[in-house]
Amino acid sequence: MTVLQCLEEWCRVTVGRRGADYRVLPRLRAAALWSLGSIVVAVGSLLTSMVLSPAAAVAADRDDSAERQDQWPWAPLTRPQVPTYNGSDDRHPIDLFLQTRLRAAGLKPSALAPPRTWLRRIAFGLTGLPPRPEILEQFVEDPSESAYHAQIERLLNDPAYGERWGRHWLDLVRYADTRGGALDYARPHMWRYRDYVVRAFNQDRPYDRFIREQLAADAYGKYGTEGKLGLAFLHQWVPVERDAPQLNRRDFLNDVVGVTGSVFLGVTLRCARCHDHKFDPLPTRDYYRLEAFFAPLQVSVSSLPFGQYEVPLQQPEIWGERSGKWTEVLDQRKQTQDVKLAAFKARLRERRKLAASGDLKDLVVDVTDAELRATMEEGVVFTPEERQSYELIRRQTARFANPNHRDYFSARAYTASDSPLRYSVATHILSGGNYELREELVEPGFLSAIQGHADPVSFKGVSGPRRKLLAEWIASANNPLTARVMVNRIWQYHFGKGLVATSSDFGKNGSQTEYRDLLDWLAVEFIESGWSIKHLQRTILKSDLYRQSMNHSDRDACEKVDPQNKLLWTRDAIRLEAEVIRDSVLAVSGRLNRVMGGPPFFPDVDDELMQRAPTWWEPSPRVARERRTIYMLQIRSLQMPFIKVFDGPNIDESCPVREVTTVTPQVFALFNSRFLREQSEAMAARLVSEVGADLTQQVRRAFQLAFQRVPAAEELDRCRLFLEKPEKRVAATGAAESKPHGSLADLCLVLLNSNEFIFLD
Amino acid sequence: MPKNEFEFCSQTNARSALRDGEMGRRDLLFRFGSGLGAIALTDVLRRDGQLRSAEALSSNPLAPKPPHFAPRAKACIFLFMAGAPSQMDTFDPKPALHRYHGKPVTRIYGSYEKRLYVESPFKFARYGQSGTAVSEIFPQLANCVDEMAILRSLHTSVEAHTTATFFMNTGEAIPGSPSLGSWVIYGLGSENENLPAYVVLPDERGGVFGGAMNWSNAYLPAATQGTLMNPVGPPIVDLQPGYQITRRQQRDNLRLLNQLNERYLASNERNQNLLGRMRNYELAFRMQDTVPEALDVSRETAMTRQLYGLDDAVTQPMGRKCLMARRMVERGVRFLQIYCRGWDSHENIASEHRNRGAEIDRPVAGLIQDLRQRGMLDETLIVWCGEFGRTADNSMNFFRSNPGRDHNKEAMVCWLAGGGVKGGTIVGSTDELGKKAVENVYHTHDLHATILHLMGLSDMDLTYYHGGRFKRLTDLGGRTIDEIIA
Repeated sequence: MTVLQCLEEWCRVTVGRRGADYRVLPRLRAAALWSLGSIVVAVGSLLTSMVLSPAAAVAADRDDSAERQDQWPWAPLTRPQVPTYNGSDDRHPIDLFLQTRLRAAGLKPSALAPPRTWLRRIAFGLTGLPPRPEILEQFVEDPSESAYHAQIERLLNDPAYGERWGRHWLDLVRYADTRGGALDYARPHMWRYRDYVVRAFNQDRPYDRFIREQLAADAYGKYGTEGKLGLAFLHQWVPVERDAPQLNRRDFLNDVVGVTGSVFLGVTLRCARCHDHKFDPLPTRDYYRLEAFFAPLQVSVSSLPFGQYEVPLQQPEIWGERSGKWTEVLDQRKQTQDVKLAAFKARLRERRKLAASGDLKDLVVDVTDAELRATMEEGVVFTPEERQSYELIRRQTARFANPNHRDYFSARAYTASDSPLRYSVATHILSGGNYELREELVEPGFLSAIQGHADPVSFKGVSGPRRKLLAEWIASANNPLTARVMVNRIWQYHFGKGLVATSSDFGKNGSQTEYRDLLDWLAVEFIESGWSIKHLQRTILKSDLYRQSMNHSDRDACEKVDPQNKLLWTRDAIRLEAEVIRDSVLAVSGRLNRVMGGPPFFPDVDDELMQRAPTWWEPSPRVARERRTIYMLQIRSLQMPFIKVFDGPNIDESCPVREVTTVTPQVFALFNSRFLREQSEAMAARLVSEVGADLTQQVRRAFQLAFQRVPAAEELDRCRLFLEKPEKRVAATGAAESKPHGSLADLCLVLLNSNEFIFLD
Repeated sequence: MPKNEFEFCSQTNARSALRDGEMGRRDLLFRFGSGLGAIALTDVLRRDGQLRSAEALSSNPLAPKPPHFAPRAKACIFLFMAGAPSQMDTFDPKPALHRYHGKPVTRIYGSYEKRLYVESPFKFARYGQSGTAVSEIFPQLANCVDEMAILRSLHTSVEAHTTATFFMNTGEAIPGSPSLGSWVIYGLGSENENLPAYVVLPDERGGVFGGAMNWSNAYLPAATQGTLMNPVGPPIVDLQPGYQITRRQQRDNLRLLNQLNERYLASNERNQNLLGRMRNYELAFRMQDTVPEALDVSRETAMTRQLYGLDDAVTQPMGRKCLMARRMVERGVRFLQIYCRGWDSHENIASEHRNRGAEIDRPVAGLIQDLRQRGMLDETLIVWCGEFGRTADNSMNFFRSNPGRDHNKEAMVCWLAGGGVKGGTIVGSTDELGKKAVENVYHTHDLHATILHLMGLSDMDLTYYHGGRFKRLTDLGGRTIDEIIA
């Protein structure tokens, strides 16, 4: 029994020390028993193995490490053999992989979708906007193979492509214009990083360079100003208000390591912070070895002249005008505020004087801000209108979540460098992730699960920041994870679901994939093309798989074998993302403003919502608000309701996959909001101006704009009837039976609310 | 059998056995979160033969689900006293402080200001059959002590407002975990088809520390998130059209929309979201009327309104929210959270706490009495607490004029009433000066476990696989506070 008590005491001390605490105490006895049991078993088995076969034990150990290094996705990347189908290999490699796998499962893929469906898919997929009806008509008339290829090229070269794919990347890095957390200060220069990402995609910047720029551009002089903008990647963490200052630094490092792991490597490194990863070969040591690369990292805001591709140099006049206007607005506002505050204070001072007795009158000192605020809150001295105007000033000048920032137009950016003290920064393994429990010292090193990286790296002959070595390793063709993870992400954004569905978790607990060989083949193709994302997309988009229809001739049989369509025997519908819905509404109404880049526009928020916000801003002019959603102000603590309700990303964390939910408040956002009504009216006006007053023509054009097809006879009739003046609405009887009737704007609103508009088939 | 660490092992096994089906089902959960129309939708689907009924049930995150064991409470009203009320000025009298009043504190809590002990400026008296001591700031609430179980030995893990508010709501100090209410809805589903299952009524005076993350679903299905309803003005963004349109025109639009959608549905059978969306439009159309109706306290009798203090400008804001809460519980809303802010009395606790007390005393007492009269109290759990407790000393150098108290995570007070709660009990105690919980100590996780328990859920079994492991509200598990369970 004494042994048990000792164990219990030991558990109490260790568990207590590690901060898990008292809650476990009632269960300590059980835990102690369990520990005792496991020790007995462990010692027993150790003895047995030592006695029976010491050599075997060592061999088993070695086997284990060899095995995990051979395991996908940790194993080196090689180009797999493309299978042949019916003895021929003249089809697209993707289709050959697919056909082989499906045949083995006894399945057949769906037939090819019609050209219209395909063009809609790539238009939304590559640019996030519906195709123009004229282009679609032209394409459908002559859907030759070369026409398909021409469409792919056209869309890849559309500037909207960068906006669409930049948005995917911003999801991963959790981009926002504010810091988040309780103290949601502005990050007014962050738009330069957003524009940098959009440009990187539009210019098809090699992905390996894109990685190096974001992790360690300060180490590569050759990437210049443009590359340095990428360093804002390291500046996206959300500071949380903490009891101990050391914790803030811990939070920062945890965040940077975790995000680097999930974004570039597709591994859930965070798990390994407190304990060895439960399922993947990621010991805690690996986590801290990676952290050691970031240990001397210092992020800062510093001056960085605008580069040749950035808005100020591209459009100097517009830039100067916008910048001037903004300063003017802020100056005017400041002046008004100062005048009002001074008047309030003067009033208060006067009252004080009256209250003070005789000689003391002149001694009354100035009224402070705090006193004014206290008086306003008391609500006695000032009228309700005055209090309201004071409250507005307070929210205009709020410290938190306030976008009214002077610095949007200054040539500053978020950069990073290594502290000059970098040689003295030591990284320890922290027991249970607790910063107070330092254990052994670790040197920077890569993931030990990958062949050849068991030992820490050597910095011999390396100058510049530590991160350079990490960036080189991640962006290397020999890294088995980087290309696989990125290829899978691109696949996911085209098909709605990745080959590995958990695109930031390639580990054992991720969803794995039926198509390792296909993924590997694409990854090698990606690397050999010079990490060209556009090349990869061309490859994917030219396959028959991408043209696959949603309708299968023998759906029931296929669903029996593979209900979740893991083998890709059919195409799954895609619900458009929040931004795509908003942008498409604008495109269809004809109001979309295609101006790119620059500081964010301020959205028009529901009055009620603005009342409840801690801050206040004036919405940008309508034309500016009708730019694409990627340019909309992103405040971490105040996500816009429209974006949020359609499953916008949680801006605090890296978002690898957008959820798709169908919740009721989405209806209010589309059916009741002022924005949708305005756009429906704009669309109605566009219809009238384009086709005149003829109802049939209006309906036809409306369907063309919204769905890029002509209405079926039945639809045409219904909609025309809807628009026609009801000849006799029977007021007294049978009113409910009368046909639905509405204006052209009502019809447009209905089309923009329909399932066909929201889903991509 | 006591809960223990072994359950980790059994769940891991269950997980690998289930792995194949698991992702698919969860996928469905996410994609088919058809919002509030759960039950009706299921019916439609079943009638149309679109889905096997079991499948339809499992794929709808708001379909009512059987509890783990018989629940004691069907609904929960969580009264969150934001800013953290002081224990020794409310429900945990510390007469010993009188002796120490004005004497310096020997221990320094990490700051160098001079700290002096502060006695409670309030008188305590004993009430009810249980003879429970209650501060004079709650004259009405004091008459309800026989319905209340007071937990004097609660403590928590963090003592900054935002992190502690997250902790009280989600069991984690950093944002990103599902809230208590989301877990409850995830475990039990919704009992009504016209209103959200989980409603948050914020303080009119301003936001909550940390904002919407406090009622977030985080990784749970989106349909389980709390719906913020503004107690004044329009309760939900765009609940009513933001432009001129008649209900009749809306209905006409809806009819045309349905005709178009039906046609599209026929050609896209595999997409199950289509039906869900169509159903949502009908529900949303109804919610335009049901939500204002549920929140319309003017439909109550003058006597009821008076009971909640709606006749007094001071008690009116909290009274409205409490009355709205009762009306929503009647209509099948399962989890409600009401915020009352302003308890952060670093100085001038004598007037600050008295004012807060005056604001909530009648409304909360009214809520308890009203629920009792209507026979609803036995099925409705009421929880009252803040994010942490307060110190026995002044916080900074405000002593001379108007002393207050600092943050304290080592001791806080909380009370529960209603469904399954043993009224008139006092659990645990703090030390002589109320600085630290010392006897029958319970942690926030234990409070969470108890709330789940009373609602028929086991905190150990209510798990969700996320980020590489099974997650739960209480992390490693909490202890139910058996002393308060009737």
